[in-house]
Amino acid sequence: MPVYNAPLLKIDPKETRRYAGLMRAKNFDETRIEDACQDARLLARPQGIWQLYDYDCEKQTVLSDPPFRIEGTKIGRHLAGCDKVILLAVTVGDDIEEMVTKRFADGEYTSSVLLDAAATTAVEQLADGLERAIKPKVAAQGYSMRWRFSPGYGDWPLEQQPELIRLTHCETIGISLSEAKMLVPRKSVTAIIGLYKEEKTTSPRENKHDAKGCAACSKHDCPARKQEEAAAAESEQKA
Amino acid sequence: MIHIFDGAMGTMLQAGGLKPGGCPELMNIEHPEVVRDIHRAYIEAGATIIETNTFGASRLKLDHYGLENRVQELNAAAVRIAREAAKGQVKIAGSMGPTGRFISPLGDLDFEEAYDCFQEQASALANAGVDFFIIETCIDIQEMRAALLAAKDAAPDIPVICQLTYSDDGRTVTGTDPQSAAIILSAMGADIIGVNCSLGPEQLVPIVKTLSENCSCPISVQPNAGMPQLVDGETHFPMGPEDFGSWGPKLLAAGATYLGGCCGTTPAHIRALAAALAGCAEPKRTARPQRLWLASRSKSVCIDQALPTVLIGERINPTGRKKLAAEIREGSLLSVKKEAVNQVKAGAQLLDVNMGVAGIDAVNAMKQAVTEIAQLTDAPLAIDTSDAAALEAGLRAYPGRALINSVSAEDARIRDFLPLAKKYGAAILCLPITEDGVPKTAEARLKTVQFIIGKAKEAGLKDGDFLLDALVMTVSADKDACREVLRTLQLYRQHLGYPATMGLSNISFGLPNRPLINSTFFAMCLAAGLDAPIMNPYDESMQKALKASAALLGDDPCGLAFSQDESNLAVPRKAAVMKTTDLPILDAIKQAVIEGEKDIIVGLVIQALQEGKTGNEITENGLTAAMTEIGEDFGSGRMFLPQVLLSAETMRAAFDKLKELIPASANADKGTFVIATVKGDVHDLGKNITGALLANSGFKVIDLGKDVDADTIVRAAKEHQADIVGLAALMTTTMPQIDKVIAKLREENVKARVMIGGAAVTQDYADACGADAYAADGVKAVKLAKQMVGAE
Repeated sequence: MPVYNAPLLKIDPKETRRYAGLMRAKNFDETRIEDACQDARLLARPQGIWQLYDYDCEKQTVLSDPPFRIEGTKIGRHLAGCDKVILLAVTVGDDIEEMVTKRFADGEYTSSVLLDAAATTAVEQLADGLERAIKPKVAAQGYSMRWRFSPGYGDWPLEQQPELIRLTHCETIGISLSEAKMLVPRKSVTAIIGLYKEEKTTSPRENKHDAKGCAACSKHDCPARKQEEAAAAESEQKA
Repeated sequence: MIHIFDGAMGTMLQAGGLKPGGCPELMNIEHPEVVRDIHRAYIEAGATIIETNTFGASRLKLDHYGLENRVQELNAAAVRIAREAAKGQVKIAGSMGPTGRFISPLGDLDFEEAYDCFQEQASALANAGVDFFIIETCIDIQEMRAALLAAKDAAPDIPVICQLTYSDDGRTVTGTDPQSAAIILSAMGADIIGVNCSLGPEQLVPIVKTLSENCSCPISVQPNAGMPQLVDGETHFPMGPEDFGSWGPKLLAAGATYLGGCCGTTPAHIRALAAALAGCAEPKRTARPQRLWLASRSKSVCIDQALPTVLIGERINPTGRKKLAAEIREGSLLSVKKEAVNQVKAGAQLLDVNMGVAGIDAVNAMKQAVTEIAQLTDAPLAIDTSDAAALEAGLRAYPGRALINSVSAEDARIRDFLPLAKKYGAAILCLPITEDGVPKTAEARLKTVQFIIGKAKEAGLKDGDFLLDALVMTVSADKDACREVLRTLQLYRQHLGYPATMGLSNISFGLPNRPLINSTFFAMCLAAGLDAPIMNPYDESMQKALKASAALLGDDPCGLAFSQDESNLAVPRKAAVMKTTDLPILDAIKQAVIEGEKDIIVGLVIQALQEGKTGNEITENGLTAAMTEIGEDFGSGRMFLPQVLLSAETMRAAFDKLKELIPASANADKGTFVIATVKGDVHDLGKNITGALLANSGFKVIDLGKDVDADTIVRAAKEHQADIVGLAALMTTTMPQIDKVIAKLREENVKARVMIGGAAVTQDYADACGADAYAADGVKAVKLAKQMVGAE
């Protein structure tokens, strides 16, 4: 199981603002965001692991031993045309989470929420870093990568999380699953990335894969999404 | 002289019968004639150096094929075949590729395991008789360091070619830029430094150029035949031999004198390359001044009299700091990491790392600290210890070129530290101390430092490896202490020309107003030739002295940066504390809560009481009024959750003060709210926020925590005679627990109303499960709760 723990030389304050729900806030003290990003870097224990598998996109099945049939039509469409997949898991550990809890209990509500947002940014950055490390390896074999997709996105049920734990072997980096199928530590991500050969991407279906981030998500009342759209509308108005 | 390498081996082996998934190195035993013919084809095409078929012939790679115990055999066979093909006419380079795993802390491979793996392969190649080692296609500088150390240990006389692979952003996957690579590897004794694979010749030209500008070793380059494309499901390299060859002269001009090909290249490509280079003259490398460069994995820093002052942060040092020492003794590095990040933020470009705590495992402590700090910041490190074993542990673990702090003229330091500096490619801080102590005069200090440099050069160190300490003594004990330091700096510049450093603060020991003495002394030293002070970067007076000195000494031409800085200072960074003096006191309280001015609220509450307001007036017309407005602003998108929470913190401070002064005034009387995150769910930040807002709005909140089962919730609701029960569930997998709790509440005839919320919960879900209300967020929850108890 290849391991890659991407370093966190910086945590993106812009993303942290977004996760904190501050995207449209004016006059919010920027140093508070910076402090949260820095505290998250100090408390994070970045770890990541991945594994490459063959994939049967007709049967929507990862050819592991035993095989893993993926449920959900969106994820099926997303992985159409892929003949290999990477399953990955990343975590920032549980020290951050403990600090988030402690701060709230101490009445430092704001810094607790901001640290939580910075931790979310950090774990996404770790997944990005892991992708960057994998990319040249798969490119050398002629593969391109679809964007990563996690259980809970679209109609991929969280109930399948145990299979991702099994196939990533992420227990070796300290990730486990609670009875309710939640990742422990909480600031962890599991995901799948489809690998495809360039030529097959000329099909008209490709546009669907281009829909990324909020545009690809069916949760239309998500606060982060509203902000994105509103911010886009705002900047359009100005223009 | 221009040297021509061969081209790709893998694709040629496949053409020669290697099955997909087969071990390429096994061909050395099973089909030696195929391998030999490939070598011959390249030699005929004009290669003057051929690479053995051993790229993956290391224990860790062969393990994939169950061949891990055949390292000796496969490497020896490969060298034998190459020698047969070479017939003494061309040179043989023993190829060593990466292990395929990342070294800790980036990955799970221990540095020593990687070292052993390379050492075994290098010994096998050396015993079989190669002219070069070529370590290639590495994407991690730390793996390259392990391989280079192993190769040098296995056979010190065989030259080593070190080639990293860079991505299209000009860095390796793990973040190393070619400048830092050249600095780190040349200092460690790499004989030839280069780049191969991943990119085509066009993209490698600038990388070759950077490499050649940052070391004096010969430069090698082996590009792919262009950027890979896919044709009929096969990876294809588009660049033809002529096109490929035409890049030869450009790569040569950029500084490469060892040229060949990587993926997608064939004997035809090498023939074209050799032909294109045939008439070319070798480029003249301009002799560069040997400057002192230090590097982390991803950044290089130069200390030089012609460049701006470099701050060396001194704060990672437990000497005289009991709390830090205690933490290090307990094995915690949190404060060490904090100091690293904060010093860099304050302007430190180099970090001194001293882990000197009595009674701890100094070796392990240094290794841990260096490893963790290198993951957290890109500032190069100075390893500050008097323990040779701890020094070696730190140098070995550091994926960069470090500074050793320090080497004095004492026998043990000369004997133990200099060989380590040479082996690991570290620079040294020369400290003028002899067995007899500190030389008093500037002349004697110069002489001592000259002695150290003489010994260091005997050990193989060069110009560009030295930073000279002027050694600061205390002026209150010796009236000439300052003058001697200034004269020492001048003598260093005059006679040696290497950059100078010092720890400054010792000068003012025993005097009052130390910051004034220190910053004045600092300015004098900068004028006399101090290049890299070791200091506390948080010290404002020192930072100011530095900026002013830079303007005065011409490092900041015409004081431009200084002027800008001063004008920036005129504008306060943080928004000014709100003006409340003009407002009636209750309005001021309300405004302070809305703006989250936690620092002034307590003062305002006290003032209000002094003005004769009652606790109830303050609560109703100040605090609650603020909350109502905040709720409206939040609902209409003028205010956002973290801002609401700042207000909540402010309100809490006000309530706490009121409770303290008039215990009866701030009773929660709106109703009792039992709140919990349901069983199986461990996400409770949203629930906590809601609880805090409710408590601030006059509810008595009983928070049962997270992962709470139905029985506990029902029991609490009864016991506290809850008016409202609030249930939170974040995920679809835990939402059904809400139904269970509601069923149980109804079953036990609990009359409380039920409010639910959480990321996955919706109004529809609330309607279906029989909840009385759905709250999309904490602010909404407060509003709904007030309606439920008839307070609004």
